[in-house]
Amino acid sequence: MAKVYDAGVKDYRDTYWMPDYTPLETDILACFKVTPQEGVPREEIAAAVAAESSTGTWTTVWTDLLTDLDHYKGRAYAIEDVPGDDTCFYAFVAYPIDLFEEGSVVNVMTSLVGNVFGFKALRALRLEDIRFPIAYVMTCNGPPQGIQMERDILNKYGRPLLGCTIKPKLGLSAKNYGRACYEGLRGGLDFTKDDENINSQPFMRWRARFDFVQEAIVKAEAETGERKGHYLNVTAPTADEMMKRAEYAKEIGSPIIMHDYITGGWSANTQLAQWCQDNGMLLHIHRAMHAVLDRNPHHGIHFRVLTKILRLSGGDHLHSGTVVGKLEGDREATLGWIDIMRDSFIKEDRSRGIFFDQDWGSMPGVIPVASGGIHVWHMPALVNIFGDDSCLQFGGGTLGHPWGNAAGAAANRVAVEACVEARNSGRELEKEGKDILTSAAKHSPELAIAMETWKEIKFEFDTVDKIDAAHK
Amino acid sequence: MANKPKIYVGINNEINGGMTSIGKVIRDGWVFGLLDESETCEGWNLAGIDALLQKVNTEWDKYGCMVSYLPPELRERHQRIHDVAIQDAKKAGWSGEHETDDEDE
Repeated sequence: MAKVYDAGVKDYRDTYWMPDYTPLETDILACFKVTPQEGVPREEIAAAVAAESSTGTWTTVWTDLLTDLDHYKGRAYAIEDVPGDDTCFYAFVAYPIDLFEEGSVVNVMTSLVGNVFGFKALRALRLEDIRFPIAYVMTCNGPPQGIQMERDILNKYGRPLLGCTIKPKLGLSAKNYGRACYEGLRGGLDFTKDDENINSQPFMRWRARFDFVQEAIVKAEAETGERKGHYLNVTAPTADEMMKRAEYAKEIGSPIIMHDYITGGWSANTQLAQWCQDNGMLLHIHRAMHAVLDRNPHHGIHFRVLTKILRLSGGDHLHSGTVVGKLEGDREATLGWIDIMRDSFIKEDRSRGIFFDQDWGSMPGVIPVASGGIHVWHMPALVNIFGDDSCLQFGGGTLGHPWGNAAGAAANRVAVEACVEARNSGRELEKEGKDILTSAAKHSPELAIAMETWKEIKFEFDTVDKIDAAHK
Repeated sequence: MANKPKIYVGINNEINGGMTSIGKVIRDGWVFGLLDESETCEGWNLAGIDALLQKVNTEWDKYGCMVSYLPPELRERHQRIHDVAIQDAKKAGWSGEHETDDEDE
């Protein structure tokens, strides 16, 4: 008589809880913060998370007789307390590499943050970190150009890059928008940027914007002798339309395009990144919608995971938070994911919320972009925190200059160069920032006015999402 | 959109004490002698403001958009006009933080 399997009567832990398991170097590892329903044992719920994010949905059908479940299943191999929070715990799960399609963050995330997040035995669930094994990393395309190639393309070395988001204030026409870009670039910025929600609306269709902006770039390059760029946002309703816009950007000579990688989707992003690599284009990535996923400390996906996803999917720049500005972001956690963007090997460091070693092998790094709520007085701290391989974007801190856009750009350019020079000569930027800027302003009326416009201010809002260790 | 004003209120009646995009255009119009300094542009339609912007841009292009590159006479004029504007705007409650407070990424 054939065996009869009764679905659902077997505890998850019988199959998926393996405390003696030693993860393989090729396993994909995940750390979940689990908030269970009352009365459910930790081991059982950790095993359930492992099951429902791997092969759990396969087991109740007859095909489990045909597949090697023991090979493909996720294994919950450890449980840890969350410092300072008794309502939840960390569950560590190992997944065999051949559970996933090569080079597909889409496939990995469909499993790891798919059905399991709606599992009834959970009150909340957060994916805190993932370790991608080098064997998997090497199947992904990664950043189209990487940091070193970007510097070579732009011929800019030894300092942070400077950018500015052009806000469509007053419903700027495409022509006036292009003019604002020109002024910023002429004043000293390296990049200007489309707002993330500028795609191809009736008030400014994409092709007209691209044309006017490229005219601005050509003019600014001719006058300054520097390479300039504008992040032309190619995010579109369909991947085909996105590619059409990307092709046009390349055709008119733009060195860089932009994509909203979460709202646009990871499949589209990976496609675009591969195209950028094939076509010598830089790719700037905006993270609109990230806070929906990463802000709740008990539910969702931590931004360090979204950072890893982007590095694998592909992008040369990624918005990282500013640390010193007015926007959300714990300093240590932010420094952690900045390392994840740029470094080749990142050690486990719980003080920065990093749960696993991460080896990126030869995969190029991503430039972190500090953007929003920052101005010239933040420059010393920004240069100190972010270092040279970063892009500092002053939107209101450029366009809000009382003398206009070019003056705002010039103020920021003088400030960043003064800070770099001071740092290189051994001065302590955050301690001596005021002296450094004041001295530079003697030769730059634009900087002097900017320093009068924005005073040294501290807006220290407490962050919603902190490193768990900080709760101790 | 139906309530969008079609007529400019004039730089003296502007929000933020006139520290706005249009306010900056008008002041630069004064600097370059495109407008008499008593001209507030009150009652102008937006096409008129846009035409002024194009003229101001043409003037700035002669000096690479940089105040530092203005000839002494224009530079002094720029400083005088803009110094007063900054003071007036601050008296009206404007500060640099208005430009960065509500900013997103």
